[in-house]
Amino acid sequence: MIVCIAVVGHQNNPLYIQSFTEADDALKLHHIVHCSLDVVDERVNNPKKSAPTLNETFLGLLYPTENYKVYGYLTNTKVKFIMVTTDLDVRDADVRNFFRRFHAAYVDAVSNPFHVPGKKITSRTFAERVSTIVKSFGLNSAG
Amino acid sequence: MEEYPEELRTPPVALACLVGCPDVHALITGNLHSLQPPINTIALPDFSKISVISKAAKENPAAGSAKAVGGIVKRDWLSKHRTRVPAVVVALFSSDHVSGDPAQWLQVCNNLENIKATIQGRNIKLLVVVVTQSGSIDDTSEDRMISLRKRAEVDSKNLVIFVPDDPLELKQSLNRLGTACAELANAYYRDEGRRVKARLERKNFGSIDLHIRYCFKVAVYAEFRRDWLEALKMYEEAYHALREVVGISTRLPLVQSLVEVKSIAEQFHFKISTLLLHGGKVVEAITWFRRHISYYRRLNGAPEVIFLHWEWLSRQYLVFAQLLETCSVTVQNLTTTVSVPADKQTEWEFYPPYYYQLSAHYLKEKNSCLEFAISMSEDVGGIDGSVDSVVASVYVGQFARLLEHEGTYAMQALTDDEYVRYILAEGKRFQDSFEIIALLKRSFEAYNNLKATRMASYCGVQMAREYFVMGEFSNAKQVFENVASLYRQEGWVTLLWEVLGYLRDCSVGISSVKDFIEYSLEMAAMPIITNNDAPSFRDCCPAGPASLSQREKIHEEAFGVVTGESGIALSENNGLKVNGDCPLYLEIDLVSPLRAVLLASVAFHEQIVKPGARTMITISLRSQLPLNVEIDQLEVQFNQSECNFIITSDQKPHLAAISHVHPGRRVETAPTLELPTSKWLRLTYDIKPDQSGKLECIYVIARIGPNFTICCRAESPASMNDLPLWNFEDMTETIPTKDPGLAFSGQKAIQVEESEPQVDLKLDSSGPALVGESFILPVTVASKGHEIHSGELKINLVDTKGGGLLSPREVEPFLADNLHVELVGISGQERADHSEANIDNIQKIQPSFGLISVPFLNVGDSWSCKLKIKWNRPKPIMVYVSLGYHHSNEPSSQKVHVHKSLQIEGKTAVTISHHFMLPFRRDSLLLSNIKANHDSDHTPSLALNETSILIISAKNCSEVPLRLLSMSFDVEDDDSITIQPKEEKFREPILHVSGEDFKKVFAVIPKGNFSTLKTGAVSLKWQRDSGLREDFHSCSASSQVTKHRLPDVNVELPPLVISLKCPPHAIVGHPFTYSVTIQNQTELLQEIKYSLADSQSFVSSGPHDDSTFVLPKSEHVISYMLVPLGLGYQQLPKVTVTSVRYNAGFQPSTTSSTVFIFPSEPPFSDQ
Repeated sequence: MIVCIAVVGHQNNPLYIQSFTEADDALKLHHIVHCSLDVVDERVNNPKKSAPTLNETFLGLLYPTENYKVYGYLTNTKVKFIMVTTDLDVRDADVRNFFRRFHAAYVDAVSNPFHVPGKKITSRTFAERVSTIVKSFGLNSAG
Repeated sequence: MEEYPEELRTPPVALACLVGCPDVHALITGNLHSLQPPINTIALPDFSKISVISKAAKENPAAGSAKAVGGIVKRDWLSKHRTRVPAVVVALFSSDHVSGDPAQWLQVCNNLENIKATIQGRNIKLLVVVVTQSGSIDDTSEDRMISLRKRAEVDSKNLVIFVPDDPLELKQSLNRLGTACAELANAYYRDEGRRVKARLERKNFGSIDLHIRYCFKVAVYAEFRRDWLEALKMYEEAYHALREVVGISTRLPLVQSLVEVKSIAEQFHFKISTLLLHGGKVVEAITWFRRHISYYRRLNGAPEVIFLHWEWLSRQYLVFAQLLETCSVTVQNLTTTVSVPADKQTEWEFYPPYYYQLSAHYLKEKNSCLEFAISMSEDVGGIDGSVDSVVASVYVGQFARLLEHEGTYAMQALTDDEYVRYILAEGKRFQDSFEIIALLKRSFEAYNNLKATRMASYCGVQMAREYFVMGEFSNAKQVFENVASLYRQEGWVTLLWEVLGYLRDCSVGISSVKDFIEYSLEMAAMPIITNNDAPSFRDCCPAGPASLSQREKIHEEAFGVVTGESGIALSENNGLKVNGDCPLYLEIDLVSPLRAVLLASVAFHEQIVKPGARTMITISLRSQLPLNVEIDQLEVQFNQSECNFIITSDQKPHLAAISHVHPGRRVETAPTLELPTSKWLRLTYDIKPDQSGKLECIYVIARIGPNFTICCRAESPASMNDLPLWNFEDMTETIPTKDPGLAFSGQKAIQVEESEPQVDLKLDSSGPALVGESFILPVTVASKGHEIHSGELKINLVDTKGGGLLSPREVEPFLADNLHVELVGISGQERADHSEANIDNIQKIQPSFGLISVPFLNVGDSWSCKLKIKWNRPKPIMVYVSLGYHHSNEPSSQKVHVHKSLQIEGKTAVTISHHFMLPFRRDSLLLSNIKANHDSDHTPSLALNETSILIISAKNCSEVPLRLLSMSFDVEDDDSITIQPKEEKFREPILHVSGEDFKKVFAVIPKGNFSTLKTGAVSLKWQRDSGLREDFHSCSASSQVTKHRLPDVNVELPPLVISLKCPPHAIVGHPFTYSVTIQNQTELLQEIKYSLADSQSFVSSGPHDDSTFVLPKSEHVISYMLVPLGLGYQQLPKVTVTSVRYNAGFQPSTTSSTVFIFPSEPPFSDQ
């Protein structure tokens, strides 16, 4: 199950962050997302390590922590997507697919002429769409 | 890692036992230790002690399979093999005894038998050593040796002769002993391993527990042999077999069973990780660790002892972190080669801090679970004393009660209930907070070293939370503050909210009211605009969930404290009060996080203003606090303090705050000083600056209540940064002023001009300056409306091409040469009323700069001075003169400046040229002229001892008339040349107007026969014509001299000199004599040819065409009688004289052979 997703801007500031848990661990998830930015930086700044994934937007598993696994995705405009899941066995393909759909939703949201680039995403439609994508991710991997 | 027993932490070392001959034990022990791999020893001084290694009272080893197994691995098995059960027994016999009398021999045999009996059960290997002296090696009887070997049943290589007293022999025997010992030990462990392995392969065991135990033993034996691969394999097998035990073993009650399995799994895992890491297989080790964790983390165990699980998990991470740290060098090398695709190892998993952090996390989990469990158990009923006698049992991971019964001890198994109580009692004794902090600190520092600041921040937050819980507020505050700056910078509002919440409470803890208010206001002004009290954010932070309503609450709390109206929530703490004794003063600068609390933007409506004129200023204030803020008084401060003013609200005109007013300050009122949320409060006032210079608004100070002040640094709207945190919010932009132009270009500073000078500064120039003279430039300062106090006159000479006269490009020539133009002096500093100049007269003069002070001048007075400027070269320059003065005597009065500039041309006054000529109708034949190399730089040639004519002409190049005073020659050598007249003073000065040529004729007679003769220089003395005659006398000192160097001349002796003679005029019809004189100055006879051309105007008589010889040093005259026929200027008949020797001809020029013919005797002829 995806417990948290986030869009992070150029100054490593959160543009959109949403957790999907009932428990009171939203703050912890925020911390985890924030920490994962270190891994993104590390991976982007030392590209020789991930030579095969050059030009690849999907960054893969950023790090496992406690009960969570954190995945990352970097768009061409250097906006970062972070996803935190509690599933232990996640197929890369599923995550890739999730990020692709999430990216599409993001592109639609920032294409709104009233959206100012670099500001937080406040679109309700975006939130709804993201929540649908998150839910369907759970279904896919379960099935 | 430290809690593991020593034998587990270090790789096992083979053990040998030395018996007999105690005096050589030290030698042998030292040698065996230094072997590679080393061998530990047990040294038994005499043979009777051999029983210590005998097999313990294990009744029936064969029955092991039949009997129920008490546990999986015995706690002391490993240490037994490392310290008590040797692989080899080294029996040392003295050669004296071996080859001694039969009684001694018998003793030897007995001892040997004893040893054999003891070691047989364990299959321990035997090594026999005969200790002998170097001198008596051959004394030992061969028979006895053979018999000893047979009795001992050892190969010949396992019977070693040991010679301790000869260094060479000793070394050899030690080597032999070491090799034999190592071989035997290896054989022992191999045999033991095989024996146990055979049992494994035969599946000759009753339970899975034994399977695990056997695997473990084989692995340990392999480790003894340094067969790491085998050891690893067997440990892994044991580890896997252990998993099968989980949940199915009924040997122990449920809780204890799991504890046992986990303890053993931990040890196996530790061994495997160590082997992998030391083998350099970091990736495998990490993979193994992941699997280990992911399998066992599911085995939580009973809920009442779940804290054991967390503790265990925490330990796994800690130990792995420590292991990684010990081989960190290899890690560094490996990470670069590892790619990170899919879900393999990620970056941080290669570094210890990752594990430290998680270890701390689980330890915290354990702590909270333990607390819960203890409170539950206390509810159920206290812990009785029965737990006191519980100790660790003989098996790893088991506990039992030690029962003392009549001096003997017995172990009694525990029930789960008892066990739980015991564990809880144990757990209560430890406080883990320090350990958690230590772990987090380690992680924090390591992450910082890895430049993973966010990871480090998270560790910092956790660490600070722990400090907070423990009540160490200052520590907590320090760490939180550190972390907060990162969150502020990256705009993580929720995380910042949490940290600030803690910081706020820390400030209460350390009674810092200022910090409390600052953090409260920062929180209240944070961009949290939703009011969603999501349950996921509850209870996570002492300040409550991040929501709008919470912000409002915090706002009210903070303002309650600062206005002194309520100390409510904090009343129990006496330190947190704001009152007259401890007022609160907050300063907000451009980088303060409190900018969102109060932002002051100040814009002048104009950029430049005249002093005393009014201009407008707009002060815009904005606050992001969730509730409106009422300001009682606003003070605007400038760098010119007399402009400061105060704004008070109309609604609350008289308040205690007004007491802060500086008497005499301007007080304005505004209709309201209430700051609405996120809206600009704009206040526009006019302002009248009196002083020139920059007027800048520095602070806007808001006073709320009598004791609370916020001092906000003013910002220009043009260069205002976005509000921190709010800049990421998607909201409409607002501008601080109504006029958008002003919002984009408005500045908080304005330039106030100087007051208009009321003084005249005059520079009088009398045309261009002439090179060489001291040009006088009068400067007049005349006061028209201002008195002049402490005036200063600055003079600058600047090249008109720009730059100073000393531009770097021209420095070199200047250094070598003089300056082209220099300020020589300033003279005639006198007031118009001719009184004495000030005594404290500053005067500084440099070649291109001068500074003089101007005395006090009353209105209407004037003062003047003369600048003396000297031109060394013709060059136009700019003279800049600026006068700075105070127009009143008050020290505060502003300085006023007047500037004037004037361009002055520097010109050369006179140019002098010269011209050499031959005398009239006389020509010296100069041989150099005949050679006639007509170069342009041809030096003129003069005839020796003959008179030549020198014409000096001076041309006035300037635009001013000059007066010429005299002309003179400086001749270097009077003997060699004579110039007449040598000096000529004009009786009265000759007026020499612009463009005119003045010529003067001199006679030159060279007397020395030098090829080049220096003729010297001609000097012309002149002065500027001022138009007044008396000036000539009075200012004779100011006359200038222009010098002109005459060229060197070539002097030579002419061989022939020809002169024509004829009267200056003639009368028609009257005959006159026309003669040519040829002077031969040589020692030779000269042949001269001459001819006379006929002329229509004259009738001539005399030789027409002939040649003659002139004797040396004599003259020859050819004379003609001519009768003129025509009138007026007539050309005389042309005479041509040719010297045959020199092949040079002479023809008089047309002018010199012309004569005027009068019709009759002219009337003046006689006079």
